Amino acid sequence: MNNLCTDIGYKSVNKYGEQLCGDHIEIVEQGENSTVIVLADGLGSGVKANILSTLTSKIISTMMANSMSVEECVKTIAATLPVCEERKIAYSTFTIIRVVDNREAEIIQYDNPHVIFLRDGKNVDYPQTTEEIEGKTIYKAKVLIKENDTFIAMSDGAIHAGIGMTLNYGWQRDSIIEFMELSYDNEFTAKALSTILLGECDRLYGGRPGDDTTICTVKIRKRQPMNLMIGPPSNPDDVDKMMSLFFSKEGKHIVCGGTTSTLAAKYLGKPLGTTLGYMDPEIPPIGVIEGVDLVTEGVITINKVLEYAKGYLADDTKTMEWAYKKDGASQISKLLFEEATDISFYIGRAINPAHQNPDLPINFSIKMRLVDELAECLKQMGKKIKVSYF
Amino acid sequence: MTVTICIGSSCHVKGSRLIVEELQRLVAENGLSDDVELKGTFCTGNCVKGVCVSVDDRLYSLTPDDTKDFFEKEIKGRLA
Repeated sequence: MNNLCTDIGYKSVNKYGEQLCGDHIEIVEQGENSTVIVLADGLGSGVKANILSTLTSKIISTMMANSMSVEECVKTIAATLPVCEERKIAYSTFTIIRVVDNREAEIIQYDNPHVIFLRDGKNVDYPQTTEEIEGKTIYKAKVLIKENDTFIAMSDGAIHAGIGMTLNYGWQRDSIIEFMELSYDNEFTAKALSTILLGECDRLYGGRPGDDTTICTVKIRKRQPMNLMIGPPSNPDDVDKMMSLFFSKEGKHIVCGGTTSTLAAKYLGKPLGTTLGYMDPEIPPIGVIEGVDLVTEGVITINKVLEYAKGYLADDTKTMEWAYKKDGASQISKLLFEEATDISFYIGRAINPAHQNPDLPINFSIKMRLVDELAECLKQMGKKIKVSYF
Repeated sequence: MTVTICIGSSCHVKGSRLIVEELQRLVAENGLSDDVELKGTFCTGNCVKGVCVSVDDRLYSLTPDDTKDFFEKEIKGRLA
C-alpha cells in the first residue's frame, strides 16, 4: 500500500431536449485501494440509451470488481442487452479504468474516444494492445501510476461538440488534449477538470448539445488527512484525552466552536486570538491559535458548510461561492471538499447551556444531526470518513 | 480602553455583528480609534442575556438597539 488514492469526478450534459442521459458512470470499490470505473454510452438517446448504458456499466463494474475477465463481461453484455427495435442491434460503448492497489491503472476501451492520459499536465501516448472479443475490437493498456496522473474518459458527445455549428468536424481528440494541457493545474480536483472540459463542450454546442456528453476524470493524488473537532466532551475529565488524540493525528487540524477552541488553546498553551472581520455577514469571524490550521465558530459555521456540501453534490453553481470566499465556512468547505481525502471527526457531546435558550434556533440535537449529515455528504464525495464521539 | 465583543454562536444569533459594526462606525466617527481597541472573543459563558460586551473588565449585556446609548455612556462618557 502506498499513500496514493484516486479522486474521481464526472459530469454529464444531456442531448438538447432530453430528460435522461444516455451515458452512465458506475464506480465500484474493490477493497481499500482498488476501484473500477466504467463509462458507458448507450445507442441513441433518451430512455433507450439510458437503459443500455446503465445495464452495461452496472454489469461490467460488478463483474470486474469480482475479478472476472473482460471476455466474460463482453459476452455477458452481448447476451443480456435488449435489442433495439429500429436498428436490430444491442449496443453500448464503454470505457473501463481500473486502478489496482493504487499502483497500476488498466484501461480497457471499446468504441468510446480513447482515454486521455496526462502526466504532470502533459499528454502521454500510452501503448495499447487490441483484442477481438465477440467481433468487437477492444483496446487494452496498463500504466504504472504516479501522483498527479490524470485520466480523462469521455463519451463521443465530447469529440462531436460543435459539429456543423462552431466547428466543421467537431472537436478533435487532439484539440481536446491541447485544451486540457492548457487548462490543467495540479491544484484542480477531478471534478473541476471534468467541469472545465464539459463546460467547453457545452459552449461549442452553443448550449444545445447534439448528443449526450459525459466527462469522467480520474486523478491520482496523495492522501491528505484532515481532522475536525467540534464540541467539548460530555465528561469534562475527557478534555485532555480528546485533545491529545486529536492533535496527535497526521494532517491539518480544524477546531470549531468557541468553547472547544478555548479548550484547545489551553491544551496547547497558546493564546486564542479572534478577529472581527465579517467576510460573510452570516458567518461569525474566525479565530487564530498557533498550531491549529483553522479555528471557527461552531454550529452556525457548520450549518453553512453543510449547505455548501449539499449544493456541491447537486452541482448547484449558485452555492459554489465557497471556492473564493474567505469566511470560516468557506475555508472549511475548501479544506474538506477539495483538499482532504481522509477526514476524521472528533465530536464532543457536551450540552452547551448557552444553546438551551428556546429563543435560539440552535440546540444540541440539531448540532449532532448537522455533523452526521455533513459526514454523509462527504462520504458521497468519495472521502473516507471516521467519526469519534467523546 | 479595550472593548471586547463576544462573537460566539449564541451572541452571533443575537446580533453581535450589528453591534461590532455599529461600534466600529461610532469609534471612527468620534475619532476615538487611538483610544479604543475593539476586539472579538469566543463565548465567555454569559450567554443567557444579550450580546456580551466587556469594557476593560466590566461586563455588559447589549442588544443592537442600545448600542448607541452604551457607546455614549460607557465608552465616550468614560473617556471624556
